Amino acid sequence: MPLLRRLTWALPAVLLLVWLWPRPGELERGAMTGGDALARIREAGVARIGFANEAPYAFIDTTTGRLTGEAPELARLVFRQLGVREIEGVLTEFGALIPALKAGRFDVIAAGMYITPPRCAEVRFSDPTYAIGEAFIVPAGNPLDLHGYEDLRDTPGATIGVVTGAIQLEYARAVGIPDDRIRIFPNAPSAVDGVSAGRASVYAGTDLTVNDLLRRTTAPLERAEPFDDLVIDGQVVKGYGAFAFRPDDTGFRDAFNQVLGATVGTDTHLALVEPFGFGRETLPGPITALELCQGSS
Amino acid sequence: MTDLLAFLRTHLPALVEGLRVTLQLTLGGAVVAALLGVAAGLGRRSRSRWISWPAHLYVEIFRGTSAMVQLFWFYFALPFFGLGLPALVTGVLVLGLNSGAYFAEVVRSAIAHVDRGQWEAGRALGLDDRTILSRVVMPQALAMMLPPAGNLLVELMKNTALVSLITLSELTFATQVQRAATLQTVPLFALALLVYFAVAQVLLTGVRRLERRVTAYRGLRA
Repeated sequence: MPLLRRLTWALPAVLLLVWLWPRPGELERGAMTGGDALARIREAGVARIGFANEAPYAFIDTTTGRLTGEAPELARLVFRQLGVREIEGVLTEFGALIPALKAGRFDVIAAGMYITPPRCAEVRFSDPTYAIGEAFIVPAGNPLDLHGYEDLRDTPGATIGVVTGAIQLEYARAVGIPDDRIRIFPNAPSAVDGVSAGRASVYAGTDLTVNDLLRRTTAPLERAEPFDDLVIDGQVVKGYGAFAFRPDDTGFRDAFNQVLGATVGTDTHLALVEPFGFGRETLPGPITALELCQGSS
Repeated sequence: MTDLLAFLRTHLPALVEGLRVTLQLTLGGAVVAALLGVAAGLGRRSRSRWISWPAHLYVEIFRGTSAMVQLFWFYFALPFFGLGLPALVTGVLVLGLNSGAYFAEVVRSAIAHVDRGQWEAGRALGLDDRTILSRVVMPQALAMMLPPAGNLLVELMKNTALVSLITLSELTFATQVQRAATLQTVPLFALALLVYFAVAQVLLTGVRRLERRVTAYRGLRA
């Protein structure tokens, strides 16, 4: 009997170990930087892209397990033309995207990240692929009657929920909302739950994020309508999303940017991004990354 | 009931994949922690400063700093010094280093709590110190180490949730991904709580069995 009793323990233990043992590829995600990035990616046949699971920009479709969204689909298209067959997603929190890129954890950020002067000091952006405005999620009926950043600033006791590392924190500060009325959440779903639970008066996100979240949630929430355009330094603020590269990878960025420039605005591009709520009206126009980095928007 | 089944069918496969990473980190981290803990715990007792000081330094550094900051440092800062370990290796290493520092203290205090008379008796029988340690003191210390080691193991398992910061999709992060898709926060986190609880129970049962075996080997009652 001792042998049989030992087997009843040994068999599950062995099966567990077999299941847990790292599969091919799971251990090969070491950090890689330096040299000619594009040549290295071409040789590997796989480009590693960083994303933060924020629909509709870049997210995992949980029904199929596929990495999709505006940025990954466009990246697939561009990389194919650069001779790279596959992309591999590396999921991380939004606030960790730039540190992870710089540490060589992936080759490009494909998360629809906005081009902003502070970020330009850290990474090198492609030209923008879309331009959109801002929105708020509020409890149904908009009890505090909030219709924009200034409104919120001028309403005593109103708090604004934003996501770590996201642009809306900068907007809130630029408009003059004091820090003790800013609530920072780790990700968009937490911010939305925060509004439901009364932890923040609004969730401030991009136009498309807000639409997407409201489509999914069953909580009694709505979009703040009408919404006053955000004006900073006398200019209406729009967000321009782009791909981001390591500062040293200029050759790689230029090659990517060239193909991207020939792609953005074409029918192929539009057909690719329309399922995510983008379209002709969200095209960025002729503005370049360089201009946006210098702070003109 | 059908709602529940549909809910589980949608979310469970992804959570099981997350659980796999959680278990990889827990078991891998536990092996690293056990090796380092015994090495540092014995090292701190050494008469040679060249051994006891590094052991002391290791324990104090990893007990005294935040595990989250350590993870960030190993994952995001070390590559700048040319050491870009894969995410899974980083996670196992940092969690193991962390638990190992606590385990070292458990090992050290367990050995210190074995009656001095045991050493004296061993010497009187003509045994050398190494033999006394491995054949007389350690078996007794082991029985004292196991209950706190079980605590540390469960603690380690729960700490694995920190690694979502370094791109590993363990159970908590897998739950977050599912939540982003459906925004069903309450049932999803309830499910994650249940899974963590179940894993903790399995780990603790294992440790308790081991305890029984060790005390039986020593001829004591549990």
